[in-house]
Order: sequence, then structure tokens, then C-alpha cells
Amino acid sequence: MADLGDLADPLVVVALRWADARARVDPLTGEVGTDPRGAGPGEADRCALEHGLRIAGATGARCAAVTLAPPPAEEMLRDALACGADEVLRVDVAPEDPRLPDSGAATARALARSIRAELGDPGLLLTGDHSADRGTGATPAFLAAELGCAQALGLVELSLVDGRLAGLRRLDRGRRERLAIPVPAVCSVEPAGVRLRRAGLPGTLRAREAVIPAIPAIPVASGQTGAEPPSVRAARPYRPRAKELPAPQGDDPRLRLLRLTGAHEEREPPRVVVTEDPAEAADELLAFLRDRGYLP
Amino acid sequence: MRDRAGPAAEAVTVRRPEAADFDAVVVGAGPAGSAAALELARAGHSVALVERGPFPGSKNVYGGVVYGRILDELIPDWYERMPVQRWITRRQTMLLSGDRSLTVDFRSQNWGRAPYNGATTYRAEFDSWLAGHARAAGAVLVPSTVATALLRTADGQVVGVRTDRPDGDLTARVVIACDGVNSFLGKQAGLHPDEQAAHTTLGVKETLALPRETIEERFGVTGTDGVDIEILGGTSGVPGGGFLYTNRDTVSVGLVLGLPGLAKAGLRPEEILAELKQHPSVRPLVRGAEVVEYSAHLIPEGGYRSMPRLGGNGLLLAGDSAAMCLAAGIWLEGVNFALGSGMYAGRAAANGLRSGGPAVLGEYRRLLEKSFVLADHKKLRDAPGLVLSERVQHRYPGLVCDLAEGMFTVDNPRPKPGLRRLLRRAARHNGVRMRELARDALTGLRSFG
Amino acid sequence: MTQRYGDIAFEDRMSQVDFRVAGNAHIVVDTDVCRSCTTKACVHACPAKLFVPTDDGGILFNYEQCFECGTCYLVCDGGNAISWSYPDGGQGVVFRHG
Repeated sequence: MADLGDLADPLVVVALRWADARARVDPLTGEVGTDPRGAGPGEADRCALEHGLRIAGATGARCAAVTLAPPPAEEMLRDALACGADEVLRVDVAPEDPRLPDSGAATARALARSIRAELGDPGLLLTGDHSADRGTGATPAFLAAELGCAQALGLVELSLVDGRLAGLRRLDRGRRERLAIPVPAVCSVEPAGVRLRRAGLPGTLRAREAVIPAIPAIPVASGQTGAEPPSVRAARPYRPRAKELPAPQGDDPRLRLLRLTGAHEEREPPRVVVTEDPAEAADELLAFLRDRGYLP
Repeated sequence: MRDRAGPAAEAVTVRRPEAADFDAVVVGAGPAGSAAALELARAGHSVALVERGPFPGSKNVYGGVVYGRILDELIPDWYERMPVQRWITRRQTMLLSGDRSLTVDFRSQNWGRAPYNGATTYRAEFDSWLAGHARAAGAVLVPSTVATALLRTADGQVVGVRTDRPDGDLTARVVIACDGVNSFLGKQAGLHPDEQAAHTTLGVKETLALPRETIEERFGVTGTDGVDIEILGGTSGVPGGGFLYTNRDTVSVGLVLGLPGLAKAGLRPEEILAELKQHPSVRPLVRGAEVVEYSAHLIPEGGYRSMPRLGGNGLLLAGDSAAMCLAAGIWLEGVNFALGSGMYAGRAAANGLRSGGPAVLGEYRRLLEKSFVLADHKKLRDAPGLVLSERVQHRYPGLVCDLAEGMFTVDNPRPKPGLRRLLRRAARHNGVRMRELARDALTGLRSFG
Repeated sequence: MTQRYGDIAFEDRMSQVDFRVAGNAHIVVDTDVCRSCTTKACVHACPAKLFVPTDDGGILFNYEQCFECGTCYLVCDGGNAISWSYPDGGQGVVFRHG
């Protein structure tokens, strides 16, 4: 198993998701209104950045922060620079179509290609476990698939032990799973354990002046994405079709109506069978099923 | 880790730095700070604009209208680029007494055309826009950073600020504190007089969402035109006033409450606001609206007489931190005074930096006195006291409403009463002595005339 | 007809505002001073309702949903019972419709 430090040009990439956690949804149109001033990385992403900075610092790796977001996300990348990231990269998104659902697969593909092309192959790629805007948390897994590397998702702890990555993950019933993570790997972390450091003033001043490199998203031919949004022609609540009943026969309209309501039909009332003898209970059940024609 | 966040109570004594990080540090990216930074950056100086919020305007609340004429000097085509909600074409002053009201309603479509008069906006948008101009001119905006203390040399010269970031000392040749009504930096420098509470009011505001058509119907405006209503009375007896103005898809309704009166009254601000919203003249305007934001902020309303010293020893104050807010009943203005004072502070600092001398305070004061900023405040120095006085707050609205009711109540078969008798009766009913009325009229005339 | 309380609950009113809660408190109250305070003006004057009287005469305070206006320390009768400052940079209230 390789160590991060053994790689030729060790690179730790932190993929940040730029989202407005207080987006408003118009109750009539379903349109989502976001405010770029309120948008930023979620707490999980901030933890991922802190992990990235620590691991890069301990192994001498480069630390890069990457996001797939429109130009206002520059502020988030400036903050990452101020906190100590060595480089940042913004991958531009196509002009937003509000009907276009977010696709983890498409995000992962655009990010993976851009990272490979601009920064090189990462030894470790870190993300938050979910994006703050109710993401599914699938993007990290897609990223691992795109990069063809190991994945360790939803970690509550991530540390370097003797130069090797070690993670801790929650399991059901309060159990924990300890993972020895090989590189290259994609790790997603829960917002736990660490807090993003506060950027010092000199770093902040440098970051304010820095040029934030941006590249257009590498276009993916349609059909190749598997992420074409299903086209919605009309949005309305689910209404099952009415059940058709044969019209009742008879001359008297009153009786026909009564038959429709089922008011005067003979019906066997439900029974509760309480008996101490299991054999008797079984006989009762078998007789019922035979009676109804379920058994011969 | 510090046990407490925020500004230190004491300035920090440092040795004079050999080379300053910046020519100027401006604390606070509100309208005053951004105007100062813009002016300094345009003069070719290096400026850091320190803002404690995540973006400019995130901590700011105002009471309705930005009068942008002063922007002509800073950003000539401001009215084409400013993030405007609505242009004010209709202004009302509403006197409330009990469930009665008397409204003076003025409308001018001239205000809805270039060069315009005043506009409503969201401060998050307006302040960010203005700070964007300062950035474009070369100022370095440092957001999410609190200036916690002044850096001073042993002889009292201000040489920078300490921020709450690690390695956070920022040195400069001049510091302009536009750090708002609480102005911890101004207080550290000992510029502020005591008794701040007596000259400060609390503004609370609800922003209420309504469909655009409903707003246009209720307020009688179309397109980008809007309404601003100043309210006297309706504060449940607490000295102060109210305001109501329209944005594109929201209506903002708020109160301004004198702190001493509020402390004494034992009423909660949002309850007083709920009461105002129930007034028969206000309720139809805001009925059925959903609260999208509730906000509160202090306002330095003392006017000229409560102003702090405006700086000294390499420090200048501008905007709310210098109490540059005009609350004179029919005029409620603050953003324009902040813009003006910030601009002149920046200009004075730039001139001082160019000539190499630190004596910028004299020139700052001279620029302010020559302009509307101090001229208006000086002229209206008695107005805040008059407006917040018990008579104007309680008795005169009652008197005016009594008078109007007497005039317009048809009391047949009795003949119509004469105006003089009505006035005397209304005055007696509201406990107003004619001598006081005459004296207040004179004060008002002297201030406003 | 006047109604004493607003149409929405106080919690609903506050839930519309964006607060980024800092790790450390920017308000500190010296409750020993509060015990001798008769007015306790902070309790009703604070627009965010952050101060609650306790049955032993002290004051329980919150800092999380603070508008950062400064009313509390200005109306405080007990001299310097409330020490108040700004939250850490970037934290605290974020107004969008100020």
C-alpha cells in the first residue's frame, strides 16, 4: 500500500460544493431562489478543507481547492486560499437552467476531468459527505469511479498514522469501522471532529488580491452523461384513474342505486378467533381458505 | 482561545511601524466606509476596507430611503446602476392618535425620472454594490474580520487597527472608523460623549412579502414607483415613530423607539410593532403579508448636539459612528449623510496623505461644514429634541386629529364651530398650553424654516 | 380592535433570520449585578428576547440569535453588568432585507 508521501508529486484536492443553505422555494412555481452572497461551503466541506490542509501539511503535498460553480463562488475559493490552500480552481458551469436537476454523476465527471487536466492526478480527493443543499452524497462515489481509485465515504475521523491514511466510519447500532485507506483515494467526511481554521490576516490580504483561475467545464456529449434530466411536461398531484364498475341491472332506479352503494348486500362480518388449541386454529384457517376458494 | 469574542475595551500601544501595510485603513464597509475607501483609492492610495460581516451590508438595517444625490459626485450614473427596489414617487407623513390618523400625501412623478430623488433598496445589495465600486477602484475589501482595537503609539497617534484574525495587526498612516453606531473604535479613542443611550433609538423592522400587484394596488403605484410613509405616533406611548415603505415584492414596516422610553415602558418592541400593524390606517396596507425577515438596529438620533469629536491623531469618524443621522420628524435621513461624511473623510485623508502631514481633522471638519452634512445637522440641532419631546409625541398628534375631527364632523343642527374655538378646545383636551404651542412653533420655524 | 400579540409566534419570526452561530459568546452577563437590579430593562427591550430572568433574581442570556444591535448594554441599569461586543468576523446575524 502506497503512502501519500511516496507519490512523485503528491496532491491533495478538496472539492467544495458552493450552495446557499437558505435558498427559498417559490410555493407556486417551485422555482428555487438563491442569493450568491449567502452561498458558500457547507460545514462538511469546511471540515474536508481542514483535513486536506492538515494532511497536505504533514506529508508535504500540494493542497488545492476546486469547485464547480458560477463566478460568485470566487469568494469561497479566496477563503480557501487564505486558509492555506496552495492553489484553487473554479470550473465554470453552464448558464443555469432552473429545471435542470443536479446530477452527481455529471458533477463528478466535470470535476474529475478538470482536476486531471489542470492539476494532475490527485493522491487524495476530499469532499464533504453531503452538500448543504440536500444533496444525496453520491458525488464522492462517482468521483472515485471517474478517477478509478479507492473510496472511503462518510468518515467521522481522518488522520495520518505513520504516513498512512486511517479513517473512522459510523456503522449502525453505534458501532465504528476503522479503515486503512490506500492512495489514491476519494474520502468524504462528515462535519465532525475538526473545525476549519481561521485564516490569518496576511494570508487573507494575499488571497483578496489573488487571481482565481477558472476554466469552462469540459463539454460532455449528450447521451454520454446519463444525466439528462427527465422532461417534465406537467406537474400535478398523482390522481389514479377512476375504477370502472359495471352498471347494475334492474328496472327500479332506487334498487340500482342501492346496489351501487352495496348497502343491502349480504356480508360475513369479520371474526376474531381466540382458541388455546393450535390445531383448532389451523383448522379454522384452512376451512376459511377452502371456503373462499383459495384451497381445493 | 479567547473567552470572549469582539472588540477589546482598550486600545493597544505599539511602537511606530517603520512601514505601514496600507496608506489608509477604513473600518466598516457600509456607505460611509465604502465612500471613504472609494475616494482614497481613486486618489491613488492603498486602502484596506475591513468589514466584520461575511459581505458588506449583512449587518445593516435602515429605515427606508437612500437619497442618492450625493452619489452624483462619486458615481455619476449611479441611478442607472444602483440595485434599486423602487423609486420613491409618493411620500406620506402620517399622524396617528388612538385609532384616528391624519395623512399628508405628496406625489411627484418627477422623482420617478432621472436624475431621481430617493430609492428603496436592500442594504445587503446596496452596500455590496457600493463596496464593489471601492474594490474596482483598488481598495482591498477584507470581509469577515472584526477590527477589535486601535493600534496607538505611546504619544497617542493612531497607526492602525488590530483585527480578530491570527497575525491580525493592520498598520496604516490614517484610520477612518466607519464602524457604526456602537463605534467601539471611536469609544476607545475617547471621542464619544457619555450618555449614549439618551441619544440612541432602537429601530425594529419587519419585511413583509406581498405579491407585486397587491403592493401596486394598495399603495397606488405602478412599475418601479414606490411609497415612503413616515409615521408619528403609533408607538404605544414610547417616544419615537414609525415608517413603512415599499420594495418590489415586499413591504417594510418598522418602528424607531427611544431607548430611555423603551426601557421605562416595559413593552416589547415586536409587540409595539404588532400594535402599529393593527392600526386601521396601517392594517389594510400590510394585511395578509408573510414576514420574510425581522431585523433590529440602533440609530444615533441625537443630531448635532450629541455628535462625538470627529477624530484626531490619525483617526477620523464618519457615518453612524459620528452620529451622522438626521432624525428631524419630516426628514429621516442617514445613508446620504453616511455617504457624504465618508466621502469627505476619504477626501481629507487623501489630501493629508499627499501632503504628508497627519493634520486631516481640520480639513475634514471644514469639508463637512461647507456641505450639507454638518450644515443640515447644525441647522436642525434642536429638531431631535423637539421631535422626541413629550408634546410632539403625545399631545400634538391628538391635537391635530381633534382639530381635523372637529372640522369634518357634521354636527347638525348645530352650526359649524369656528377654527379658533376648535383649536382652543383641542388644546385643552390634549393638555397643550397655547404658550408652549407658540414656543414649539417658533423652535420648529427656526429649525426647519 | 387591537390585539396584543403579533400574528406569528416569536420563534417563527426569528426563524426567518439567518444567524451564523459563533463558537464563543459575544455577550457576557454578570448575574451578581443583575440580582440587585430592579428594572431589568434588557429583558423586554432586547428585540431578540435574549435575556430571561431566573427565579433567583439573575439573568439567563443567550447569544445565538443576536441582532448585534447593542440595546442591551445601553439600557442596562446595573452599570456594566452586560459586556457586549461583536461576534467573531463572519459570524452572527446576516440580514438579506435590511
